[in-house]
Order: sequence, then C-alpha cells, then structure tokens
Amino acid sequence: MRTALARAGVSTGAPALSSSPVGLILRLLALAVIDVFALLLAVSIGGDGNIFLALAIVATALIVTVITLVPGLWPLRWMSPALALIVLMALYPMFYTLYVAFTNFSDGHRQSKVEVAELLAQRTYLPEGGTSYTWTPFGNEAGDSYGLWLVDAEGNAFFALPDQPLQPVTPGVSGSGPYDEAGIPAQMDGLNVLQGGERFRALTTLQTMQFGDPASPVGIKSRNEAGAFVSKWVFDAGANTLTDMEAGIVYQADDSQGQFVAPDGTFAPVGYWVPIGLNNFARITGFFSGLSNFGPQFLTFLWRFVAAVVAGWGVYRFFGKTDIMEIWLVRRVVVPLLLLAVFAEPLLNLFDTLLPVPLFKVFGWTVAFALLSVLTSFSLGLFMALILNRDFPGVRVIRSLLIVPYAIPGMIGILIWRGMFNSNVGVIPATLRDIFGSSPAFFNDPGWAKFMILLVNLWFAYPYFMLLCSGALQSISASIYEAAEVDGANTWHKFWNLTLPLLLVAVGPLLIASFTFNFNNFLLIEGLIEGGPPIAGTVAPPVGHTDNLMTYTYRFAFSAGGTRDFGYASAIAVMIFLIVGTLTLLQFRLTRRWEEVGENV
Amino acid sequence: MSNIGTLLGRFLTSWTARGIVIALALVFALFPVIWITSASFNPTGSMSNQTLIPSNVKNLDDLLTNYRRLFDDPQVPFWRWMFNSLFIAVVSTILTLLITSLSAYAFSRFRFRGRRSLLLSIFLVQVFPNLLALVALYLMLIQIGKYVPLLGLNSYGGLIMIYMGGGMAVNIWLMKGFFDTIPRDIDESAQVDGATHWQSFWYLIFPLVRPILVVVGLFAFVGTFNEFLLARVMLNERETWTLMVGMFSFVSGGEFSTDWGVFAAGSLIAAVPIVLLYLSLQRYIVSGLTIGAVKG
Repeated sequence: MRTALARAGVSTGAPALSSSPVGLILRLLALAVIDVFALLLAVSIGGDGNIFLALAIVATALIVTVITLVPGLWPLRWMSPALALIVLMALYPMFYTLYVAFTNFSDGHRQSKVEVAELLAQRTYLPEGGTSYTWTPFGNEAGDSYGLWLVDAEGNAFFALPDQPLQPVTPGVSGSGPYDEAGIPAQMDGLNVLQGGERFRALTTLQTMQFGDPASPVGIKSRNEAGAFVSKWVFDAGANTLTDMEAGIVYQADDSQGQFVAPDGTFAPVGYWVPIGLNNFARITGFFSGLSNFGPQFLTFLWRFVAAVVAGWGVYRFFGKTDIMEIWLVRRVVVPLLLLAVFAEPLLNLFDTLLPVPLFKVFGWTVAFALLSVLTSFSLGLFMALILNRDFPGVRVIRSLLIVPYAIPGMIGILIWRGMFNSNVGVIPATLRDIFGSSPAFFNDPGWAKFMILLVNLWFAYPYFMLLCSGALQSISASIYEAAEVDGANTWHKFWNLTLPLLLVAVGPLLIASFTFNFNNFLLIEGLIEGGPPIAGTVAPPVGHTDNLMTYTYRFAFSAGGTRDFGYASAIAVMIFLIVGTLTLLQFRLTRRWEEVGENV
Repeated sequence: MSNIGTLLGRFLTSWTARGIVIALALVFALFPVIWITSASFNPTGSMSNQTLIPSNVKNLDDLLTNYRRLFDDPQVPFWRWMFNSLFIAVVSTILTLLITSLSAYAFSRFRFRGRRSLLLSIFLVQVFPNLLALVALYLMLIQIGKYVPLLGLNSYGGLIMIYMGGGMAVNIWLMKGFFDTIPRDIDESAQVDGATHWQSFWYLIFPLVRPILVVVGLFAFVGTFNEFLLARVMLNERETWTLMVGMFSFVSGGEFSTDWGVFAAGSLIAAVPIVLLYLSLQRYIVSGLTIGAVKG
C-alpha cells in the first residue's frame, strides 16, 4: 500500500509556494517583472488599436500569475511556460485569423478610420490666397542647413528655420552686415545669404522643405512667393465625411466597405479597415454561383454516383459467389471500371463547367497532388521495402544510400532538381534533347510541370514509406504466409490478400497524415516552380497551374507585385483549416489517440 | 490469370530483377547528389558547360573556385545564414525540449482537477497547423516588434517563439506518451524517500527518457533548420535570412544564371551535416516515424 499512500500524498499535498524564502522572493520578483512588462506592452499595443492582441497578452500574463499565486494550482506551474506559449502563439493567431477573414484588411485598408483620418490630417498643401511671403534663402557652406528670410504683405519680416517657430526680425538690424537695400543681412544664425547661382542650385532642395512651426509650416510656392501650408484633408466625425480641401471634394465614408466615396463614385486614395462580414467567403463561393449550369450538372453527377454505388452493391451481392468473379481481373478491374463509367461522364461534364474557375483549378490540383503524392510514394516505398526485405550482403548500405534524399534538407533537394530541369541548360532537358531531339517544356507546359513536381516529390518522399514499410513488414509473422502456402496461395495472392491489408492497418493513419502534410505542401510547389506556369487571364496576383491552396493563399497575402489582401487570404486559410482539421481528427480517430485521453495512465 | 501472377511474382523475387531494380533506385536517389557535387567542383561555375567529371581543372586550387566565391561574395553572407539557421534551430529545440518535458511530466504524473479537459484542449490545438495562421503571425510580429524589436520581424526571438508555439501541443502529446511508459513506482519510491517532484523529475525520469528526447529533439531541430515559409515571411533583410531562405535567393535573380557552382557548394555544405546526422541516428528515426513525426 506504499504506492497508494504515496499517490495520495502526491495528489493532494500542495507544497508551499517555494521551499525557501529566497526562492519565494525570486519567484515573486520574476512574476512581477513579467506582469509589468506584459501590462506595458498590452497598454501600448491596445493604444495602437489592436485590442485583440492586447487582450491576448493580458490573458497570458493573468494565467501565469494565477497559476503561480494560487497554491491549489501547483501542478500547473510545471506547464505555465507551455500554456503561455500555446495561448499566445497558437490560440491567439487562430482566432485572429478567423477575425481578419471577416474584415477587408489589405494594403490600402490597414488602419482604422480614426487612424486614417489622423494620418491624412498631416498631409498639407499650399492654398491659393493664403498668407503669402516674399522669400530670400540662407544656407551654410555644406549645403545641408537652410533658412528663409520672409516678408509678408504688410512688410513684417521673419526669419524661419525648419521645425522652429517663425522669429520676428528687423531689417537692417538683425544678423550681421553688410545689409542689402531691403535691409537683409549677409549672415544670420550662422547661415549665409544665397544669391544668383547659389540661390538657383538650392531651389530644388528648398522646394521640398518646410520651415517654421511644424503645426503651421511655411513652404516655397514659386520663384518669389512663399506661403503657409494648410491641411489637405479634413475629417468630420459627426457628418462622417472626409473633405479634400485642395480639390474641394467631399467624400462620404462608407463603413460597409471601408472606403471614402466621392459623389461621382470615385474613392479617396486611402481606405480604412472595417469588418465586412461574409464578403471574403462570398468571394470564394461567388466563383461558383456565377455558373448557371453548375446546379443541374452536379445533380446529374450525384444521381449517377448513387446509381453506381447501388449497382456495385448489387453486382457483388448477387454475382460475388459465381465463377466469373473468381477471376482476379474481373473482380478487381473490369467491374470497377464498368461502374466508374456510369458516373465518369457526368463527372467530366462537371469538371468542364468548373475548370475555367481558377480557385477550383487550384483546389482540384491541391487534392490531386496530395492523393497522387501519397499513392506514388507509398507504392514505390512498399515496393522497395519488399525488394530489400531479405538479408543479403550490402543491404544495410543500400538502404542507407536510398534514404539520403529523405535526409537532404527539402529546399536544397528541390533547388537541385530545379537546376537539373532548367529549360535551357539543365542536364535533364539537355540529355533528352541529345537522345530524342527535343525535350518537354517542364516549366511552361502545365501537364509536364505537374509530372515534374510528382517526380521530385517521389524522390524525397518515398524513402519515408520505405522505412515505415520495412518496419511493418518485419512485424508480420511468417506463420501466416506458411498457412497461406498450404492453402495454395501464390506470391501475388499472398501480397494482395495478406501483406497489403496487414500493412495498411499499421500504416493507414500515417497515410492520412502524409495526405494532410501534402495538402499544405508549400515548399515543393514554391521551391520548384513557384506555382507556374500562370493561368491565362489571372492578374494581380497571377495564379499558376501548379499553385496549391497554400501557395495561392501566400500569393494573396505576400505577393510582391499586387495588393496584399490579408482578409481574403485569411478566409482561404480558414477554409483550409476546416478541411485539414477534419482529416486530422479522422486520423486520430483511427489511431485511437482520442481514447488515450480518458485512460488513467 | 493466376499463372501470370505466379510468373510475375517469381520474376520480381528473382535476384536478377532485384539487382536491376536496386541499381535503378540507387541511380534515381544518388544522381542529383553526384551531379551537385560535381557542379560544386566545376571551376567555370555555370550550368551549361558542366560535365560529370569537372573539366578545365589545371590544379587542385581550381576545384575550390566555387567555394572561394561562396565565402567571399558580400551578396551571399553564407556563414551568417548558417549561423542564423543554427542559432534559431538550436535555441528553439532546447527550449522546446525543456518546456514540453516539464508539461508532459506534470500531465503524466500529477492528478489534478481539470487535467482531462486541459489535455483535450491541447489536443485540439494541434489539429490546426500554425502555418495557416501565417497572416496573423506576421501582423502579430509587426505589432509586438514596434515595442519589443527583439520579438519583431527580422529578429531571432520572433521566429523562435513562432516555432516553439507551433510545435508545443504536438510535442507535449508525444512526450506524455513516453513518460506514461515509465513505471510510476520509480518516482513514487523516490518520493517516499523524501525526494521532491523536481528531484525525481530531474535525476530519475529525465535520464530515462533521454532516447525519446533524442527523437523529439532531432525532428524539432531538423524541422526548424529546414523550415522555409515562416522564415521567408518573417525575415526580410538579407543579413537575417536563414540558410534555406538564402539558398532560395539563388533562383530569384534568373534561375542560377551564373551562380550554379556557388549554389552547389553552399548546398553541399548545408546538406552534408544534416544527412550524416540522419544516417547516424537512423534507428531513432524509424521509431520517430511510427509515432507520427512528419519531416518539415
């Protein structure tokens, strides 16, 4: 009963906060530092308008504080760094992605309306008929410091330096002489008066500068005239309008799309960030809703599919025991092909309707690539595992050499292939040209591009399955095969009816994991071909024939050329979340990891 | 039909067929490696006149032309990239191992209210790969980096936090599974003798799970070292790039045009240590694979 006693002691005996007073003080001190730091950060970030991140930081600090201070929560102290990281780096990004997916957050819509108004208020222009001065420039020898001698309409003179209030001066007295006929000094505040050629050379610089108090600066309007700048944009929160003072246009803020709209329907140069509800998702589904014959074709496909399933069930139910079905070819190939033919035609029609839609193409290729990738690399991996499933001299060395591609860092291996496939001088097209006189355009022909991707994928993916299958094959007991041989099974039967089913039980969940991984395979597509060749008619950003959902998302969020649309990219990410999440849960269901949670181990 | 099956089976199991298949597989696996090795020693450094055995080699020094160019070119701060990659991978691996093993120990050994629901929550978090929260993570680093540059864009800290956060849930689950296989009697008897939880964890359990730490650590290290997408988005300045982002830059300016040899030299230096690491830890890897660790 020692164990039981110990367990009781372990579970209920909450130790003091720390064994020694020094440890206690150190821990409280560390906690205080963390809390103060987190609070300062949260207040600053909240002040910028990012309430959700501020809340996430406060929540993280709160969790750590409560865990440390409440004695009953001592087991959680062991995991407080992990919990903090999960909340801040996994949970918060997840929810924030969901939030951004419902907004128009993108280049040109990156700030809230108030922030945009504040930024615009800083833009100024020189109005006609404002305060006007005549000006005389001053500068130093190095040409990096300038001042202006200004005289207004009433004859009052001022000396103006950048970022300093105008300083009233008296002609003929201020500065040091000699003075010219208007009383302007040769030197003032360490700057020399600029004349003739000097004045001309300084003009380009002077035109870009603002002098005097930054709140109401003065700048050069023409060769002789200087004027006071005023704000170009005025935001009226009450009327919810933005006025362009220079052009005299009143823009009405449209909070449903985050734009300032002029009476003639044009937008102000900057928009702002607003929630736009389901618009991003509508954009995704909108691709499909415009297709008028999609509905009927989908129904045709659906009903033929159901018919094929029913027919298949019938065939195997009623003819399964007959002689003809004993033939492997009939059972495994002819009948399935006949059934496939029933719904193949509506399926192809459906594809024909959808194929012009870039997003559908991307989705189709994403699924096709993930499936083909798993299928090819598993098949070759299993095949090689069977070949090497014997002891012969050198088998260990061969196996080690075969897994070298798997061990090479992915990006490096991919780039090596990219060089070897190089259209002009790569070794593969060059060799093909030597032998056949011509070579396929691996980077410009969509079909060959996909072939190339699958080949490169096979190169570094199949050793993974070879390793897995080798292990699994060794765990299959030899006695099953002996029993099968007694029953007269040949090699093919044994493989098809024994080896494969047993392997699939062991490797099945990992096949799903591999499918999920390849569904998100950004590295291969971007590293090898960057999604190309582009689909005709897609611009800003161009979508390619080999783009998968992940590279497609990346292109919308981070493409160098077009507008970066974080809202739309997040909406697609949410859709991938749903697909991948379902698959992963299915995988856990198969591995029974879920049940492990309940076990009292 | 069964005759064909038998014949096919017999041929596939014959030693001739086996030999041919193995030879083909070896060529497929190793040709790119051999080709890139040859390219790295080709003194002209361009792709068009590369031969399998480097030509135009007058002396041994010529063989190292590309390596010299790799180390001297200021546009390619290779060792800087290597350092960045190693630093980020090593720090995030060590921290991940420490933090996850602490949590895994607590989940495995302590019984407390909310344990089951907490485990379930962590389990659900790992269903969603953090790769998909790319936009949110990017915006987050911008916002935090405004006040704490050490955790912002173009910093080691920001990327390390992202890598650790992304792998945390999965690794806690893996480790907890291993801790569960170690009999509780071991630490319980130590505690009867007066050892604290910390002592029994650090002196008894930690050494016992060392093989597991090797597996989890290896996959975390290699996965981080090889990671491309997050590094590319979060690091915008040449000096802060990791090796993988840096190597990718060779294709951005015209498909290796004249840099093929330099790229080859860099690739070899980057790949050889990782390959050797894999081959020497092969037996650990097989056990890691079956528990679902996926190479990044």
